[in-house]
Amino acid sequence: MDKVAENQKKDNWLRLLCSGDQQAFARLIDKYKEMVFLCCRRLGLREDEIEDVASETFMAAYKGLSRYAGQSDLSTWLWGIAYRKAVSYLRKNRKNWQLKDELDEQISYSRSDGPAAAMQAEETEKIVWQAVEQLPRLWATAIILYYREQKCIFDIAKIMGQNENTIKTYLFRARARLKEMLAATFGADDADR
Amino acid sequence: MPTGRLDEDRFDRFLAGALQKHSEPVPADFTERMLSAIQQAEQRRILAGIVFQQRLALAASIVLGACAALAAVFFPAATTEVFRSITGSVTEHAATWFGKIPQTIETIRNQWQSYAILTAVFGFAIYSLVELLLGDRLRIA
Repeated sequence: MDKVAENQKKDNWLRLLCSGDQQAFARLIDKYKEMVFLCCRRLGLREDEIEDVASETFMAAYKGLSRYAGQSDLSTWLWGIAYRKAVSYLRKNRKNWQLKDELDEQISYSRSDGPAAAMQAEETEKIVWQAVEQLPRLWATAIILYYREQKCIFDIAKIMGQNENTIKTYLFRARARLKEMLAATFGADDADR
Repeated sequence: MPTGRLDEDRFDRFLAGALQKHSEPVPADFTERMLSAIQQAEQRRILAGIVFQQRLALAASIVLGACAALAAVFFPAATTEVFRSITGSVTEHAATWFGKIPQTIETIRNQWQSYAILTAVFGFAIYSLVELLLGDRLRIA
């Protein structure tokens, strides 16, 4: 019964969203802004660029909501918009920026305080997050979508505009590298816990 | 480091748990600023629509005037006939309106191009007039 009521509430919210209700849209921004900022940051946008791209993403969502037919989850749809906006921004504003070039490189803005420094803070989440930040951008994005956002391979492929096998490869390699990095930081037993 | 000892499922859970705890920093007033930007964009869109319709109405008035002038200069007989048949049908032959229907049909059949153009221009003029006078109110409502 609760689930039915919840679904009904969600349907009403979606209906309001599609009709252009600004309060409903404010709720959408509140709910998904963190996710959109996360997507932009992980793809390598600078802090001063992130807000512009996030604004463009929500503006595009606002304009496109009337066409959103609900085939995919709202968060998947928004992730897709944010991803495309960020990639298009990077392509336009960074000379020679290509997604494929990033695949086997370390992130260029890797932090100086690596796993060792983070370990001093003894915060698992921070250490894992820093390890994810060391991954190539596309791997990191796939890992975040899979583990954090709980998206299936099909949805990740749709968001990133890749085929499912490519996503599986990203996840496999990223996971293996994370395992190495975290095992080196925590020790196998801690990471296993 | 014996990474082989890491249990796959546990590692997945560990990863998911740690990543889900992460919170991404977002400017505190982002939602308010975003809503304000959307409102401004909406206002700009409405204004652009009104300006476009006003320009269209102005263009239509000019085109209508030019068409009437051209028709009067180049096809005086046809123009006179068209207008006379319209006004004549209404004023002089109002009593025998229905009896005139076959004749009117015949006239339209003979001069259908003029009527088609006249109807289109007349429709456009009415539309332009409505847009000019009520367009912005209709859109905002």
